[in-house]
Amino acid sequence: MKILVALKRVADPANHNKVKIPAAGDKIDTAGLEWQINPFDLYALETALRLTEDGKAPKTRLGEVVAVTLGPAETETNLRSALATGADRAIRVDTTDDALDGRLVAAALQKLVEEEKPDLVLMGKQVVDGENNYVGQALAELLDWPMATFAATIKEEAGGLLVGREVDGGVSTLRVKFPAVVTVDLRIVAPDSVRSSKTAEGFKYPYEEVRFAPLPAIMQAKKKPLAVKKLADLVGGATLSSKYVKFEAPPARKAGVKVKDVQELVQKLATEAKAI
Amino acid sequence: MIEWGEQHLAIRDAFRRFVDAEIKPRREELEHGDTPPYEVLRKMFVTFGLRDMSLMRYEADLAKADKAADGSDEKVGKANPMAGEMAAMQMIPIIELSRHSPGMVTALGVSAGLTAGTIMSRGTRAQKERWAKDLLTLDTIGAWAITEPGSGSDAFGQMKASARRVEGGYVLNGNKTFITNGPWADTIVFICKLDEGNDPKDRKVLSFVLEKGMKGLDQTKPFRKMGMHSSPTGELFLSDVFVEKDRLLGETEEVSYRTGAKDTFKSERTGVVAMALGIVQQCLDLSVEYAKTRVQFGRPIGDFQLIQLKLAKMEVARMNIQNLVFRIIELAGAGKAMTLAEASACKLYCAQTATEVALEAVQLFGGNGYTAEYPVEQLARDAKVLQIYGGTDEIQISQIARSLLG
Ligand SMILES: Cc1cc2nc3c(=O)[nH]c(=O)nc-3n(C[C@H](O)[C@H](O)[C@H](O)COP(=O)(O)OP(=O)(O)OC[C@H]3O[C@@H](n4cnc5c(N)ncnc54)[C@H](O)[C@@H]3O)c2cc1C
Ligand SMILES: Cc1cc2nc3c(=O)[nH]c(=O)nc-3n(C[C@H](O)[C@H](O)[C@H](O)COP(=O)(O)OP(=O)(O)OC[C@H]3O[C@@H](n4cnc5c(N)ncnc54)[C@H](O)[C@@H]3O)c2cc1C
Repeated sequence: MKILVALKRVADPANHNKVKIPAAGDKIDTAGLEWQINPFDLYALETALRLTEDGKAPKTRLGEVVAVTLGPAETETNLRSALATGADRAIRVDTTDDALDGRLVAAALQKLVEEEKPDLVLMGKQVVDGENNYVGQALAELLDWPMATFAATIKEEAGGLLVGREVDGGVSTLRVKFPAVVTVDLRIVAPDSVRSSKTAEGFKYPYEEVRFAPLPAIMQAKKKPLAVKKLADLVGGATLSSKYVKFEAPPARKAGVKVKDVQELVQKLATEAKAI
Repeated sequence: MIEWGEQHLAIRDAFRRFVDAEIKPRREELEHGDTPPYEVLRKMFVTFGLRDMSLMRYEADLAKADKAADGSDEKVGKANPMAGEMAAMQMIPIIELSRHSPGMVTALGVSAGLTAGTIMSRGTRAQKERWAKDLLTLDTIGAWAITEPGSGSDAFGQMKASARRVEGGYVLNGNKTFITNGPWADTIVFICKLDEGNDPKDRKVLSFVLEKGMKGLDQTKPFRKMGMHSSPTGELFLSDVFVEKDRLLGETEEVSYRTGAKDTFKSERTGVVAMALGIVQQCLDLSVEYAKTRVQFGRPIGDFQLIQLKLAKMEVARMNIQNLVFRIIELAGAGKAMTLAEASACKLYCAQTATEVALEAVQLFGGNGYTAEYPVEQLARDAKVLQIYGGTDEIQISQIARSLLG
């Protein structure tokens, strides 16, 4: 199986208190932020690796995983980290975040898919910075491929996948035929969420997160192929169809009030907070 | 080497993730409970492929020893960039672990470094296969025992532990103390003097390999100590322990333990440099954050010059120690090694500086810094031992002076 995994770098969510918005409010000041791959995209990478191995002997690859990102040269660090984790090849589309919107990303991925011809495109259900939940669905539409979103379990079958999606009150299972687009949710990295055609009955991964890259793999990631493409070569002169116009930080929390007894608390909850 | 490369930073980040997931949540049981550090260390070894790398290095070292034995070894002293990378790959985990648990580094270093290293450099091929291989992979835990109640800095001079020749082997006696991993060790390198009825100061120093459960060998419970709580330290008592000759390291009485002891000291001392960097870096990071957020007299305490002086001194220390780490990596890549005096100078500076920085961090944290709730308290207790084990500050000073004065 050949899988294309789309990755986006985001500011480290643990650093969110370092995010600054200039007075004009027209952008986010990214100076000094640390970057990492969007967590849901890392789950997609882990899913792709599990689908191309039997679990017991992860060094034996049973397919190909191509990691793709759209971004400036610095994002090659993130791609190399994906290569160290186990991806076989990587492609960077040279551009910057402010030159992109979801539609352009989907259009660029569409062209890459047409070139690479994967059986499956995997990505996170959304990025934790923009939280748009957009690109997967848009890509499936552009390709006219079957799609499953918010995947919590995936089982490979002949010619397709059985995808479990957690929905309010239960699990809905759907069958998609290859080629397909699947976006993953967090539970996809549970020990037995993903089963390739070769995963042994009853096998469970000993971890429920994205695997660690062994040190030799980190050292050798530089030797794996990493191709760079120009955005314009993929999407021609296409321009942004949506634009961020304003950013606002959440209002600073107001200091609390002290109440002298339970009666006053109940009274304030009823009259001021209107919580009871 | 002037800065960490992208791959080094990737390794660093991977270890940080591991520490966050596996060590921080267990800090209480590792530092204040009875849980030994070995399971977490084993998990770390497997997760990062260190176990496989150790096996590869083991095979390579065996092959190298075979070549050296038949005289066809040509690599000695030649530049070897791979060796530099290996050194970096060894030091980054030490630095990252030392930010949170220098004790785990001590336990690891004594087992897979000192004990396995001693067997690899002094043992016969059969002895390496029998004991060193499992130590290098952490399948077994090792201890290395030289210190005695009556002999510490003057380790060889006052050594009472003895070996007597008997039919089929030797009988060993003696008490060893402050032995890292002593309480749990599966494999122990025991250093003693050969008693031939001669004057103790003329006796040969030999080393033997012992195993847990041998008749006459007693391994005590861990001591309560100031710091390094996650590194179990205990005593060993030997009374008439019989060993066959195949447990004598090198299987010859002709190579004294005194020769080549310098190499052991050197690698111990350079390990302290990486530990010190982890401690200093962590204290600095925590202190900067605290100085920005702790408000007194209506301002963050970082606004006060006296606090700025502390931070500036910590940063100077961090730069100096990091440069020493880079030098060690560069030397390894160039196929060179520090002299014993240089290794002593490094250890002296790093041990003293780590202790000073950690105590200044406690000071900067005020009352909070004195409580176990804040990690600078632990780091200050842990740092202190760097000035004591692996040769005390005073012993390092005398070695530096000896090399200066000739
Ligand atoms: C946590 C920990 C782990 C250890 N792990 C091990 C281990 O795994 N294996 C092992 O064999 N040992 C181990 N040791 C022992 C360690 O190596 C010794 O503690 C150290 O060598 C000092 O010896 P000592 O404690 O007997 O002190 P002493 O030698 O009694 O020294 C007392 C003081 O006198 C000073 N002094 C001694 N001689 C001189 C001199 N000539 N000139 C000036 N000052 C001098 C010393 O510097 C020191 O300040 C460990 C110790 C600790 C604390
Ligand atoms: C074991 C223990 C017992 C205690 N017992 C009691 C007790 O019984 N009753 C009680 O009321 N308190 C007690 N205390 C609290 C103690 O008095 C405070 O910890 C101490 O006054 C320091 O205050 P702080 O911890 O808030 O540190 P901070 O005031 O936050 O100081 C943090 C750091 O900033 C420095 N700093 C602050 N202001 C300045 C400045 N203007 N210029 C330069 N540097 C500055 C400090 O010197 C320190 O290095 C105790 C503390 C401890 C650790």
